Amino acid sequence: MVPEGAFSRRRMLAGTGAAAVAAAALAACGSSSGGAEEVSGEATTAPAAEPATAVTEAGAAPVTEAEAAPDTEPAAPAEGGGKILRVGTLGGANDILDGQHIVAKADIMRQQTGWEPLMSFSPEYVPEYTHGIAKDVTANAADDYTITLKDGVKFSDGNLVTADDVIYSMERLLDPDAALFGGSALRPILEKTGLSKVDDSTVNVKLKQAVSNFKEALCAYTFAIVPKGYERYSGDVKNQIGTGPYMLTEFEVGKKSVHVKNPNYWDAGKPWFDEVHIIDFADADAAVNALLADQVDAVADIPAAQVETIEGTDGYAVLNSAGGGWLTMVMAVDQEPFTDPKVRQAMRLIVDRDAMVEQVLAGYGSVANDLYAPLDAAYIGDEVPQRQQDIEAAKALLAEAGKSDLVIDLFAPDDTAGLPEMIQLFAEQAKEAGVTVNAVVLPGSEYWGDEYLKRTFATDYWGTRNFLPQVAAGSLVASSPYPGDHWPPAGSTFEADYNAALAETDDAKRKVITDKMQKELYETGGLIIPFFQNGLDGYNSRLQGMVARPNTLNMDHYGRGFKNLSFAEG
Amino acid sequence: MSNGWGVTKFILRRLGFGVLTLLIVSLIIFGATQLLPSDAAQTQLGRNATPASVAKLREELGLNKPKVEQYTSWLTGIVTGDPGKSLVGSKLPVLDGMGDRVINSLFLLALASLVSVPISLWLGAYMARRKAPILSNSMLALASMPEFVLGVVLVIVFSTRLWKVLPAVSAIDIGKGPWTDPKGAILPTITLALGAIPYISRTARASLAEVLQSDYVEMARLKGLHERQVMRRHAFPNALGPVFQVIALNVAYFAAGVIIVETVFNFPGIGGAMSTAVKARDIPTIQFLAMVLAGVYVVTNIAADVATILVTPRLRTRLQ
Repeated sequence: MVPEGAFSRRRMLAGTGAAAVAAAALAACGSSSGGAEEVSGEATTAPAAEPATAVTEAGAAPVTEAEAAPDTEPAAPAEGGGKILRVGTLGGANDILDGQHIVAKADIMRQQTGWEPLMSFSPEYVPEYTHGIAKDVTANAADDYTITLKDGVKFSDGNLVTADDVIYSMERLLDPDAALFGGSALRPILEKTGLSKVDDSTVNVKLKQAVSNFKEALCAYTFAIVPKGYERYSGDVKNQIGTGPYMLTEFEVGKKSVHVKNPNYWDAGKPWFDEVHIIDFADADAAVNALLADQVDAVADIPAAQVETIEGTDGYAVLNSAGGGWLTMVMAVDQEPFTDPKVRQAMRLIVDRDAMVEQVLAGYGSVANDLYAPLDAAYIGDEVPQRQQDIEAAKALLAEAGKSDLVIDLFAPDDTAGLPEMIQLFAEQAKEAGVTVNAVVLPGSEYWGDEYLKRTFATDYWGTRNFLPQVAAGSLVASSPYPGDHWPPAGSTFEADYNAALAETDDAKRKVITDKMQKELYETGGLIIPFFQNGLDGYNSRLQGMVARPNTLNMDHYGRGFKNLSFAEG
Repeated sequence: MSNGWGVTKFILRRLGFGVLTLLIVSLIIFGATQLLPSDAAQTQLGRNATPASVAKLREELGLNKPKVEQYTSWLTGIVTGDPGKSLVGSKLPVLDGMGDRVINSLFLLALASLVSVPISLWLGAYMARRKAPILSNSMLALASMPEFVLGVVLVIVFSTRLWKVLPAVSAIDIGKGPWTDPKGAILPTITLALGAIPYISRTARASLAEVLQSDYVEMARLKGLHERQVMRRHAFPNALGPVFQVIALNVAYFAAGVIIVETVFNFPGIGGAMSTAVKARDIPTIQFLAMVLAGVYVVTNIAADVATILVTPRLRTRLQ
């Protein structure tokens, strides 16, 4: 029932008499616990912003209406009380609500109720129009796009969405002071002067450079359309206007928000619920208790340790879907001993990936092949041979490289669940190959400080995004925000290939380029990616529309703002 | 009259010590959260830290100012009721919604005290008269159970697995008082009370047992008084002093216990706020709440000291 980490944390608290001491103890051990149960979702002990950051940039996920929609015809709205969906989430003092920005996972859930992007990903992770408010996006050239809005899409206040709103939304993302998530990907490729109104429902976007995957950017959920003049929630629920299925009517930060059906919603017959109540929990176990006591209908992001409890109780189920995030061990390819690709190869061969999934993720994940972007249609990690633990081959490679008795420090922060466990397990596995890995767990403040991204052998965490956006985020030492492995090495054509892929509008020709890039990463890259995490949500079995399939957001992309969810009539 | 003056002087002296204690506590809190462990701005931002964002946050936190100035301006803010703004999320003022949370927690604290104190005193009296080893040992066993274990067990029994008769988490609605959700307060109250009862009852027993062996009780018994009258008239008043001390300790213990109990039951009080603030590393909120909790501790102790003096003639007369 109770996860090990919580046990010791709370026991320590219980022992302290003085309140001030308790506070200090909480602060002190707040980051020391971890454990597989927290990996599946947001680490409860990690600052909420961090895991979510990785998730955010991930972009939207695949959902088609056909698959996601409950088959039941929407029943006539009940009089009075109406049909209410109550969802639990980890949240607290850091809650925000912004149509184009999130800090933690609770914010994604709330953002999803009220705002929608121009396009959305299909289950095959290809941009389409199903859940977006654009009718068409035409590439006039790789750097020139025309966006046409669906007819008659209205905001929750009844106003039609116009080209002006689209331009305002993009300008808001481009504003460096607003520091919105979607903006960081957009600012390098677009300037405000590139936006022009063609007519009331058409916008032309002229990019600074060729970006053949611009439509993918339009699918990101933070690339949502807000009305002209929109601003972040700061106390007045009436300002929170969007095109989404629900509109905000009550919000107390850290406690609860109430979202009422948008009377002007464009997707006919949806949503099914009259109201969605999003309830904050400080503790994931308390949220699961609330589920089992029928006080909430679903809980996003449950601890892995609770899965069996929920599945073992009649009337409740767990949505276990691939896609979440991934953790990685990062080798700096321009620092000894990792300048030699043989040493990097050896490290990757040391990893027992199945053991990692079992012990770090409590089994809720899948083995990875040192390549990222598993949901991208162009992903080749499942085509190239699966890398297995091969101690003899690792030893041979190390001997060739003259590093048979390698001793090396491997660093992890104590505030991101899973990373300390991963390096300790790796250190064990490395012993078999004669490699001494000193697993060094540092306080988060020190780990993410000045030395972050400079260490020879370290760790990091990411959400799932498509291949090229992931390259931009972490694999270009000259321009990425988080290039921990200092990739690409001197002499590599990787960066030139990346630019060529961005400029290539033909999918087949682009795949040739990205295949080459992925092969290079697979053969000589600086990342050890042992696994992908699963998303785990608990729900009451009468809730319909929870579809298990690869996804970057919990609860099957939060049922697209909960519009795809309903109760079984009975 | 001189008697009253002696007590007043005593109270003033205790208050003075209380203020001094809080000052020392404030130094510890401030030191632990803002000064000592590496850099508070870096800690707050984690992986998202860029040199620019760290610099901006350092500015907001005032980390670039001399340490003494940081401390005095923070303390001034706390004393004048302006603990600043939250560093995370919507960056609302720390005090926003805190009033409701304080009321919620005080409500829980009051309920837990109302339940635990009479029961404990009764149990203490019972155990003092009859040796009652089984009861005494089960109190000891209960004392060794941390609140969250009690809470989880209660939830399993009454909310999720055995019977679904009580809510597992609190459901106080936005803008509503805790009394609007009486059912939701039952398990948190019982959990807190069960945590405190063993301590209070055992101290009450020890204190009463000592009194019961005293000469004046012996005398009262020899006079032929009914045992109940011996207890009520002679034994109990003389045992009250130490009991007040224990009640105070336990109220203070509740103040720490609410952090756990409110988290387990998702009760929207200051304890829950503390636990989310720690997770979000919201330094101004942590500092403020730690001071509030320390304040509760100090004030309760002063109240207990004063009450003890007032019910103990021996101590009262010494003050003259």
